[in-house]
Amino acid sequence: MGPLFTAADEWSYVIALVLGIAFGYILESAGFSSSRKLAGVFYGYDFVVLRVFFTAAITAAIGLFYFDYLGWLNFSEIYVNKLYVGSAIVGGMIMGLGFIIGGFCPGTSACAAAIGKVDAMIFIGGVVIGAIIFDAGYPLWGEFYESGGKGSATLYEDLGISRELLLFGFILFALFAFWATALIQKKVSNKTHKY
Amino acid sequence: MADNRQFKKRYILMALILVILAGGTLLLPEKYVSEELSPENLLKEINDNTRYIYPDDIAHLIISKDPNFLLIDVRDSASYQEFKLPGAINIPLKNLLDKDDAGDYKWEGFLNQDTRKNIFYSNGTVYSHQAWMLTKRLNYENNYVMKGGLNKWIETIIQVRRPEFDASEQELATYTFRKAASMFFGGGGTAASDDPVNIPAFTGKKKEKEVQEGC
Repeated sequence: MGPLFTAADEWSYVIALVLGIAFGYILESAGFSSSRKLAGVFYGYDFVVLRVFFTAAITAAIGLFYFDYLGWLNFSEIYVNKLYVGSAIVGGMIMGLGFIIGGFCPGTSACAAAIGKVDAMIFIGGVVIGAIIFDAGYPLWGEFYESGGKGSATLYEDLGISRELLLFGFILFALFAFWATALIQKKVSNKTHKY
Repeated sequence: MADNRQFKKRYILMALILVILAGGTLLLPEKYVSEELSPENLLKEINDNTRYIYPDDIAHLIISKDPNFLLIDVRDSASYQEFKLPGAINIPLKNLLDKDDAGDYKWEGFLNQDTRKNIFYSNGTVYSHQAWMLTKRLNYENNYVMKGGLNKWIETIIQVRRPEFDASEQELATYTFRKAASMFFGGGGTAASDDPVNIPAFTGKKKEKEVQEGC
């Protein structure tokens, strides 16, 4: 059946625009343009971001598996990002730091800027400056950036288990995370009420 | 309070559906995944002319003793014994997919590797193309076809034709090369050597199978 559209399709930009607008609209409607909600994950008073993204990930994972199984899409043609271990860890830490300081991630900042939030616009300015610094200083960290390349690595291959088992384990882990974060949220909220 | 209970029930129901769906993936029978090239991609490859290697280039490779190629004669053994290109091995088309005792393709070591270029040739290009198509369908890389086959080889390398008087510099250079090559290969359509050609032992690393993303 799939793909419905390919990158070479002349409609692909239109589809991308429609999907982007729909994504932004839903992100905003769900309250993801609020930096308080996003920062809530770090402070433990609001885990809706974690729950939404985890739900999206497991829904997509199950959907992809069954679509592939039924022959509606070819999983082997899905592009898997290349993994560079060192830069993924360092980049993740920098991204996390930016997330907690700015209260946005790149996607939600665009969403918040679109509804006129000045802090989000400044955040985007920071993202652009960061990208320029990264580009200009590439000779300095380029070698590190490309070190530890593992290609299009997937977790189930690295762990040496089947994709199905990883999916099952991942869903159990997600459900555990939902339960645990609900408990943390309850505790933190009660504490906040006391003071 | 009643609302909260309803909410909790919905959560539990959703969680159960997820667990059942994920558990179902463990119980499903394994799906057969073909390692062959899909018909769509095969069509793309067929329309791509980069598989051709011209007789002039092959002559150059032979003369310069380039180790990064292997000529594979896909005609029958009798034709191969009668005339062959220097260094060529013989894998008749009908034996290309022969299997060994273990059930693996006998010639996979030669045909599916990433250390050198394999160049198929036959008298014309029908058999060599069929060989190329079979290897392509099996997703083997680094297999090429000699453009025009031995007929073109004889026509261009062995029986060299003098260019016209108004020939360009490039045509003259090609003629000079072909004339020298013709002398090297014996000229007049004879085989360069009647010595039996030893099939080189396969020493390279067999190409590892691509990681299968499908289940």
